[in-house]
Amino acid sequence: MSEFQLALTNTAGLSSVASFWVFVASNAFAKWQKVMLRLAQIVMVVGFVSLTVAIVARGIEAQRFPLANLYESLLWFAWATMGGYLFLARSYTIGQLGWLASLTATAMFLYGSWLPASQHEIAPLVPALVSYWRQIHVPPLIVSYAMFILGGLSALLELWVGGRRQSMFLAIAAIACAGLAIALGTYTPIDSFWLQLLFVGGSLVGLVSAWLKLDKVRPANTDNKAVELYDDVCYRCVAIGFPLLTIGVITGGLWANHAWGSYWSWDPKESMALVTWLSYAAYIHLRIHRDVSGEKLAIVSVAGLLLVLLTYLGFNSLGFGGLHSYGRFK
Amino acid sequence: MEAVRTTVEARASKRSRATWSVFSSVKLTVLLLSLIAFTVLLGAWCPQESQVGQEKVFEQFGTDVAPWMIKLGISDIFHTPFFLTLIALLTINLVVASWQRVFPRLWVLRHPLPFLNPSEVMRLPVSKTLTTSIEPDQLINQLSKKLKHNLYFVRRQGTSLVAESGKIGRLAPTITHIGLLTLLLGVTISSWTGFSGFKPVLLGSNLFFGDSEHSKLWIGKLPTWHIKVDSTRRENYESGEAKQWYSRLTVLDQNDHVVKSEEISVNNPLSYEGVDIYQSSWGLDQIQLAFNGQAKTMSLRPMGKLYAAFLPLTKDLILIFSVRDQEGPMRVFAKRPDWDAPKLLGEIAVGKSLKLGTVQLTYGGALPVTGLQYKCDPGLAITYTAFAFIMLGVCLASIPHRQVWAAVSPDGYGSSFLFIGGSAKKGKILFGKQMDKIVAQLQKELPGRANEALPENSYSSAKDTVNV
Repeated sequence: MSEFQLALTNTAGLSSVASFWVFVASNAFAKWQKVMLRLAQIVMVVGFVSLTVAIVARGIEAQRFPLANLYESLLWFAWATMGGYLFLARSYTIGQLGWLASLTATAMFLYGSWLPASQHEIAPLVPALVSYWRQIHVPPLIVSYAMFILGGLSALLELWVGGRRQSMFLAIAAIACAGLAIALGTYTPIDSFWLQLLFVGGSLVGLVSAWLKLDKVRPANTDNKAVELYDDVCYRCVAIGFPLLTIGVITGGLWANHAWGSYWSWDPKESMALVTWLSYAAYIHLRIHRDVSGEKLAIVSVAGLLLVLLTYLGFNSLGFGGLHSYGRFK
Repeated sequence: MEAVRTTVEARASKRSRATWSVFSSVKLTVLLLSLIAFTVLLGAWCPQESQVGQEKVFEQFGTDVAPWMIKLGISDIFHTPFFLTLIALLTINLVVASWQRVFPRLWVLRHPLPFLNPSEVMRLPVSKTLTTSIEPDQLINQLSKKLKHNLYFVRRQGTSLVAESGKIGRLAPTITHIGLLTLLLGVTISSWTGFSGFKPVLLGSNLFFGDSEHSKLWIGKLPTWHIKVDSTRRENYESGEAKQWYSRLTVLDQNDHVVKSEEISVNNPLSYEGVDIYQSSWGLDQIQLAFNGQAKTMSLRPMGKLYAAFLPLTKDLILIFSVRDQEGPMRVFAKRPDWDAPKLLGEIAVGKSLKLGTVQLTYGGALPVTGLQYKCDPGLAITYTAFAFIMLGVCLASIPHRQVWAAVSPDGYGSSFLFIGGSAKKGKILFGKQMDKIVAQLQKELPGRANEALPENSYSSAKDTVNV
């Protein structure tokens, strides 16, 4: 990796950290909040532009499309998270989502930077990846995952502004268990059975408890306009993410058919992408055809976020096999 | 009597519709999608016998749990009656829902939106009022221009107006469902008439389709021609890792006449008469040796980047032959249990010999094997069409459909009241913002003695004024 590329990536990482703190600090200064939110967004724009140039520079250095291993996909994911937030912030006043988005981008930078050095180096492609389909199949998936994550984070905020704080904390606990399982699976030799148990058990217990606690509302902490706002943002994220996920899954099938003569082979990762697709299809059907309340849909959206984590990072770190193991490094 | 018969028939028809309505229910769709998602999740978690073999199930779960996984069908979940029933139910749900709920909406879309009077406009989810001193006709004209500028399709009737944007997004469910139904058709045709398989083929050997394990033809037939592997090679990066695998294949007819010849590689298959041959894997399979002139072929095993063959000489002495690639030399090692590592005895280039004591060892070269995947999929064009429909459908679904109604009433004193309202199923906040912006722009641009929007709840007073 060249010095130039490293400097740009570091600038993007530091910008995401800085914007996180400015977003958070804006809540402490009511008088300056507007200015600070604007500043936080500008810092995030700096990070987004730096990362865009860093990714382009990596592609030029590697002389290929720079999306071939876990580290490169994490860069893309952070890029899509920041870009997705900035896109949404053009239309909505969503300062509180900003710090969650920059925190997610920061987590991805840290996760990527702690990967073994071999992941950072530009490595040659295995024969199966030498195809123009790679740049058609993978980016829509990464961007869709980022949009679903933003949708899930927006759902957390919806629970918060809706006065359903117990549900929100339980949903956060579920996400924390999932994140911890992924981190332990990546950096420690803990048996994958326990990691899978932590991920699935934590997610199920957290989500079911969050659902059961939806009735516990603090009317004093309820802001209906904000609930409507974050509900709308969540749906917007899904409305953008779902077509991209569909395109990603279908182009994956087209690539597989072009390369191996079978567009579907029940490989664990493609099965997981299907699970995510089915879950969001159920979410859309619930949203359009049933009068399911916003807070219940918020829990469904958090469940979607967990499925995205499992599909994107869980399968590499929790010991699942399959054809899509290019992101593995153990 | 006729009347009774008609009533009975009507009841029967109603009952039949009700029965089918159960299958078209969205509740059922959500339930089936959730159950299928859960089942696929289990299938992704547990190694599937049809993909990786039963050994992998035992390797992952041990001898205590694995038999249960096999017994319960979890290790082959995509072929269990449970999963197939779920798919069948979803298919019925998809077909019935498409016919009963989704496709009829197309007819609804053909009908133009009705014009609404002021009181109806003010009952819409988003509504605003505006007063101005200009003529009603001018006001509605100005609003019409604004809406067109915001990509609305506008219709006018006197001083009333209806406008729509993103109507094409309403086609999304229909197109997606057509895509899913087409996909079912394509997959059915493929599974009834197509075939597929995989075979490792040694250099110089043939690939026939008759012994394909995956032939499941109901209507189609297997080809009479076959494939011969003329050459196969591996291209490496400088680091020694595989960059690409190539195989030159010849298509031979029943009389062994060459009809086509082509070099394939990963992602570049050969196609002939609807059958595609793919480069799926590659390896070195055998080495050809001669011991004092006596030829012997030994099988190779992949060992990381290398391939090795093992020849036990005595109880505790073993000869190891190691090769990296087809063209490179072979290295010969000896290994005893008490040695930490094998000892290198020598290196032999292809066609050369090495003296090992009294034995003259000659290396004749390594024989590669190319892994060829093949398939014939007559339903592919239909499946690809389905993919296109599904992608188009879900992309259209992200377009928000917005409807706006407006009516202008004169107040009798030279002013006009504009009542504007609308609805949107998606992006409600953005729609509200857009309406605010349009009204604010009108306020700014229009001359008027009041020139301000009344509060949203002031409709009753505005209406009163109009009525006066």
